[in-house]
Amino acid sequence: MFKQLDSAASTGEVTIWLEGHSHRVPNTFSVAAALLWLEGAAGYRRHVDGSNRAPLCMMGVCHECLITVDGEPNRQGCLVPVAEGMRIERQWRAL
Amino acid sequence: MSETRMRHAEVAIIGAGPAGMAAASRLAEAGERPVVFDLAQSPGGQIYRQLAAPQVGEAVMGADYLRGQALLTRFAHSRIDYRPGSRVWWAQREGQGTTLGVLASGKGELWQVRQLVVAGGAMERGWPFPGWQLPGVMQAGAGQILLKQGALVPEAPPVLVGTGPLLYLLAWQYLRAGCPPRLVLDAAPRSRYSALLRQPLGTWHARHYLLKGLRMLVALRRAGVTVKQGFDALEAEGEGHLEAVSYRLAGRWQRVETPLLLTHFGVVPEPQLGRGLGLGFAWHAGQQAFVPERDVDSLAAGPGLWLAGDGAGIGGAINAEREGHLAGLSILEAQGERVGEERASLRCARARDLDARKLLDALFRVPEGWLAAQPEKTLVCRCESVSLGEINAAMGQGAAGPGQLKAFTRCGMGPCQGRLCGESVSRLLASHQGASMNTVGYYRVRPPLHSITLGELAASPAPPSS
Repeated sequence: MFKQLDSAASTGEVTIWLEGHSHRVPNTFSVAAALLWLEGAAGYRRHVDGSNRAPLCMMGVCHECLITVDGEPNRQGCLVPVAEGMRIERQWRAL
Repeated sequence: MSETRMRHAEVAIIGAGPAGMAAASRLAEAGERPVVFDLAQSPGGQIYRQLAAPQVGEAVMGADYLRGQALLTRFAHSRIDYRPGSRVWWAQREGQGTTLGVLASGKGELWQVRQLVVAGGAMERGWPFPGWQLPGVMQAGAGQILLKQGALVPEAPPVLVGTGPLLYLLAWQYLRAGCPPRLVLDAAPRSRYSALLRQPLGTWHARHYLLKGLRMLVALRRAGVTVKQGFDALEAEGEGHLEAVSYRLAGRWQRVETPLLLTHFGVVPEPQLGRGLGLGFAWHAGQQAFVPERDVDSLAAGPGLWLAGDGAGIGGAINAEREGHLAGLSILEAQGERVGEERASLRCARARDLDARKLLDALFRVPEGWLAAQPEKTLVCRCESVSLGEINAAMGQGAAGPGQLKAFTRCGMGPCQGRLCGESVSRLLASHQGASMNTVGYYRVRPPLHSITLGELAASPAPPSS
């Protein structure tokens, strides 16, 4: 859904674990940005009403980016920066 | 909750965007050491996000983004107690000061602050239309955040829709990045642009803004991007994710397939902190938004409380920087410093700039009757999945105000705490009752002002009982 520009400034990378699979991602990304880059919006989250949802605002307002980070559910993915070894699970079952 | 241990600050600032950075820097230059709480991990706010280590250069972003570097440098070199990743979840006026509950890295603190500058900024307006909850529909600001944060651009040409300067700015930045949008749909009818010629004076005052916009529009058209003005209805379609967008232009529905729709219907002051502090808010007809009340010159909203930047009314980044600077000067004046000349020139530039923006407000007005004209299935509150039909039914059953509508339907009770539906609910009530927005008012905002976990709450010092 999103691609990184070739002209992007080179930054460090970190390894994150998305549902047990490792990925290298630029260290400037938020968790939500990493997910959108790796997997697109379609599989981001299942809402309490059973519908599929994905980040809307990316600035901490909408709470559509809720995700489980290092075992802690309902974190705002757009506000949490990726970190080395971080474990991320998408919330696919309606909570 | 854990035992109360109060920290003290003479001056604190909430927000490290242009307003907060300017206030903090000016105060630090006068020998103060302000505490700055900011939600983000690095300073800049939304407008200068990631600018301390830019991922994309001027060739894509344009000069306005890079312009913020001077302010960032000044902020970085000042003696400031800067606290990134801080959530101010509780705020209360106490006598001559304010008490703040702050969470950072899972740790809670209570701060007693004598002089507080609130510079929390703006957010994109929640603007319902059928299908806006589908994955693949994002706000234009989100697209720009991905660009700034990680040099991310859409893989397939997106559709941009709405009204306001950000719509054209993002389209132009995508074009410069080599990924032009497939279609730009502007809600402003073409007649509104031609009407500028009948207001030569206002147009002259706003010429810098208008020329910038015109240059972007010309560049987009020259590159073959289709720009259509005056659409008046919109629907996002798809099973589980966005597949196509339908829009109505000159009475005719048209459909375009796209995996990404970026919407922009203006920005409005972020309400939580101001409302949590119990400030008065009034509907601003020009900005079509609830705006907190403050003294227009001193920026004071009460003793020891100052409001600066877009969170106090939309004026843009340069105005926010000026207002932060002015708030800093107001505090220094209260401490006995002479600030007369420095302030006079700032006030003069601010007045001229804000005057010019009135024309932009008029040019990019969102259509007042939009919401009531949506199909009943349209979600108004995304968090609790409350549709327009359910809100209409509850109003028919006698829900008299935003608080009652909340009780009837659960609208505004989800994790976004009503930020995305609050204005819509007030608009629907106002139109149903034939009342003004000020008469209808808004949800009552209570702490926590941010979503926090029970664990975080338990780890926080107990706020003083009120």
